[in-house]
Amino acid sequence: MERRKMFIRMITASLLRRRSRMFVALLAIAVGATILSGLTMIYYDVPRQMGEQFRNYGANMIFVASAESEGLNTENVEEALSCISDSQKRGVAPYRYETVTVNEQPVIVAGTDIEGAKKTSPYWLVTGEWPSEKGEILIGKKTAELLSVEIDDTIQMTYSAQALENPDQPAETDRSENEDAINMEFTVKGILDTGGNEESYIFMSLEDANELTNGESKIDVVELSLSATQDELNEYVDLISKKVPDITPRLVKRVTQSETTVLTKLQSLVFLVTIVVLLLMMICVATTMMAVVTERRKEVGLRKALGASNKSIILEFIGEGVLLGAVGGLLGSILGFIFAQAISMNVFNSTITFRVLLVPVTIIASMAVVAAACIIPVRSATDVDPAIVLKGE
Amino acid sequence: MSLLELKNVSKIYGSLKALDDVSLKVEEGEWLAIMGPSGSGKSTMMNIISCLDKPSLGEVILDGVDIAKENSKKLTEIRRDKIGLIFQQFHLVNYLTAVENVMVSQYYHSMPDEKEALEALERVGLKERAKHLPSQLSGGEQQRVCIARALINHPEIILADEPTGNLDEANENIVLDLFEQLHNEGTTLIVVTHDPEVAEVAQRTVVLNHGKIAKEVINENFGKKADGKNDK
Amino acid sequence: MFLRMVRGALFRQKGKMLMIAFTILLGSSLATAMLNVMFDVGDKVNKELKAYGANITVVPKENSVIDDIYQVEGDDEDNIKSAYLKEEELGKIKTIFWAFNIVDFTPFIDSTVSVDGEDVTIVGSWFNHHLSLPTGEELDTGITSLRAWWEITDGKWLDEQKQEDGAMVGTLLAEKLNIKAGDKITVSGKAGKKELTVTGIFDCGADEDEQIYTSLDNAQYLSGTDGLLSSIEVSALTTPDNELARRAAKDPGQLSIADYETWYCTAYVSSICYQIQEVITGSVASPVRQVADSEGAIMEKTELLMILITVLSLVGSALGISNLVTASVMERSNELGLLKAIGAKDGAISILVLTEIMITAIVGGVAGYFVGYGFAQVIGNTVFGSATEMKLMVIPIVSVLIVCVTLIGSIPAIKTLLRMKPAEVLHGR
Repeated sequence: MERRKMFIRMITASLLRRRSRMFVALLAIAVGATILSGLTMIYYDVPRQMGEQFRNYGANMIFVASAESEGLNTENVEEALSCISDSQKRGVAPYRYETVTVNEQPVIVAGTDIEGAKKTSPYWLVTGEWPSEKGEILIGKKTAELLSVEIDDTIQMTYSAQALENPDQPAETDRSENEDAINMEFTVKGILDTGGNEESYIFMSLEDANELTNGESKIDVVELSLSATQDELNEYVDLISKKVPDITPRLVKRVTQSETTVLTKLQSLVFLVTIVVLLLMMICVATTMMAVVTERRKEVGLRKALGASNKSIILEFIGEGVLLGAVGGLLGSILGFIFAQAISMNVFNSTITFRVLLVPVTIIASMAVVAAACIIPVRSATDVDPAIVLKGE
Repeated sequence: MSLLELKNVSKIYGSLKALDDVSLKVEEGEWLAIMGPSGSGKSTMMNIISCLDKPSLGEVILDGVDIAKENSKKLTEIRRDKIGLIFQQFHLVNYLTAVENVMVSQYYHSMPDEKEALEALERVGLKERAKHLPSQLSGGEQQRVCIARALINHPEIILADEPTGNLDEANENIVLDLFEQLHNEGTTLIVVTHDPEVAEVAQRTVVLNHGKIAKEVINENFGKKADGKNDK
Repeated sequence: MFLRMVRGALFRQKGKMLMIAFTILLGSSLATAMLNVMFDVGDKVNKELKAYGANITVVPKENSVIDDIYQVEGDDEDNIKSAYLKEEELGKIKTIFWAFNIVDFTPFIDSTVSVDGEDVTIVGSWFNHHLSLPTGEELDTGITSLRAWWEITDGKWLDEQKQEDGAMVGTLLAEKLNIKAGDKITVSGKAGKKELTVTGIFDCGADEDEQIYTSLDNAQYLSGTDGLLSSIEVSALTTPDNELARRAAKDPGQLSIADYETWYCTAYVSSICYQIQEVITGSVASPVRQVADSEGAIMEKTELLMILITVLSLVGSALGISNLVTASVMERSNELGLLKAIGAKDGAISILVLTEIMITAIVGGVAGYFVGYGFAQVIGNTVFGSATEMKLMVIPIVSVLIVCVTLIGSIPAIKTLLRMKPAEVLHGR
């Protein structure tokens, strides 16, 4: 018992009374540990955080009606959506498409949940405002040019069931001949610029679209933006096709395939960078420790002259190193978290997940590196005759 | 049987013979001084006796064991159990207090015991300085800590290498007085020195030159001088 | 004598100096690797993001309004679909100011044909077209790379170099008409009739699943539109948009001359579009927001992430180096105290120490640069399958960094040394 007390007393004395040297060593270990825990945390968070960025590309899954079903409706869509974990849903937007005429020109109207569309298609550039109330619409740039309408203009849309059935000559259909034609007025709130097909559509709320089509409610397609890996997406596809036979979920290959390719590369980039940085930092910590320990060759010689066995000397130095490594590692895990948090806030504007497991890992890794770094110079010091060490230098 | 016996010991470094066929006997309780100019082989002899080094040729019998034949692990054990070392440079662990430095020696030997260590410091007159770090002690005080450390494990031989080399006269006298006390208690003392004054107080002086024993002097005034000093 | 002392320190203390050099080597290689990767990551990720396809589409001016709507109605009236781009002008895309940033471009011509009595949209395009440009540049381009996400469910990609009468069919259409890879289909268009061999069936989860893709020549022959194109897709490496780019995108004419110059000479997607419109007559080039915007966001994030990781590791290696320098100078307190004792002035000692350390640092730094460059190559090759470009800018940055860090690392140690009294040093207190 006494021996262990003395062991601890010697180690703590060495750590506390040689402050400047120990500070140098502790700093080195803390820096190494900071980088270890910080980078590892970032590495694990990159797919999640970057995945969020990839949601910019918009929907990665769509629901369409299965061939034999009667089509999508609120109930079966709800049922399908319940299969997907809420935390992964970034946006859900149902769409129904109808052809209507404006000034005798055929135009496609898309009824959707405007808030959902905002989320599933974050790249939409809207000049003016997003529609928020009944009777307000968002008009595609090309259609706006075609109809020469501007923001705050009012346009009248005509929907006729016959026009739908006879899509080949909608322009020639005389409105007055259609008894069941519905006319409605809409205010243009914003003009949409996407560089894609959406520019030729008119977007309105699903309720307005249903009203325009005589209260008949239907959904053609549902766009989903999910924060999930391709494997998870494929699982959802299987699950939903089994549970809700009326719905066929399909992956938007352009988005999912490309996301997987790019994300894999990005993660392996961060992985390799982390490995290289860690490797170099570990060696850096080790050399500093070596310098700090080499300085104490004389002490090793003295202890040997006093009758210490090599084993007990090595044990003392390792004990010191392990203690130092533990303190440095703890310090490093805290600092690393702060660093990772700062990086995450700066780059992704979101907080990083604190990984508790990383704290013991960092501490153990620091202890191991420091202990390993101590052994080499202590070994070489104990191998030399104490007489030479004590005389020399 | 002598406590320590060197039989035809040689130590050869390359072409240099640091010790050349030296034979020497040291009896138990004896106070021996080893003198000689630089390069005469004093330090080599000291290293061999203190089990820090092994001779190239010959036998070194310490307490009936030929240490020339032991491996370094065994030598460490012998050194730990039988020898107390005092260095010219003191060699205290600079981040440990005086008492802790003494306890280090106990630690490697058997059990650290703070009370015993404090008693040892009291013997060398440093009880009040026990909690000081070496950097807060004077040279003489540091050397006295060294002595306390050397005698804490009750070694059979105390080996001092130029113990007064870094000390002023006042401190030198304190150290020599301590040696005398130890001698009176029956401890075997071997002091390596180039200082004739230090050698004078010893019972017997061996003078080395070019690796050989050039002269052996028995101090006839031994008892008297010591008494005279004690009177002061 | 000074040199002799420096030399003595360097060669007689080989172990220690080697260790310092080694640590500086590590630090400098870390800095080199990270900086090289950081400067290159933008381009590399940009190229990866090309997997999402073109970020610019070029369509004829008049057509840009009518096209999509008309398609829905079924296009059989050629009086409206009259606007086309000219195939002969294609090469000009590679002559614009930002020609080097144009990675891929592919022309498209679409028309309606009938197959087995079914009206189908047929799209003519390049698959793996080999292009020899007037500038002497060679380029392989086409939808094989621009539609990399297509999943080939049956057969394989059409190799237009080898097979002239090949076609690829979308999975939904193939199901409907019961077409398999290897089948021959007869396609009749407005201007002609042709038998095409189906090389593959593709699945992409979008409208294309109901279309037929064939070579440009075949499609032009079928619809009688020789030398004409309905659209061009351009894949360009771009700089993420900023406020200036957004202002310019509205109307470049509004910009001040200085702003215009900056905008025109930066690879914003809007300025590249503008430059394409300048060379292709009667065209409207517009960014595909889905691709262009997201690309910008992802690149910005990646670059920022890499910059911050680089800064973190630079700080780490800087601390590591200065730490070791401090540790190793302190270790030599005895020797330097001795020099002081024999009358060396503080300045002389400082210069001696600094010279030794600097020489070591230079050796370590230069070696580290090459090691780091190697690491950068390993990262580039493993992750992106292409070498990391050597940026000359890295050399001065690394040199300045190493010199500063070494100097700063030596300062506290030298300060402590100078404060020490020689007597104390020599007595080992």
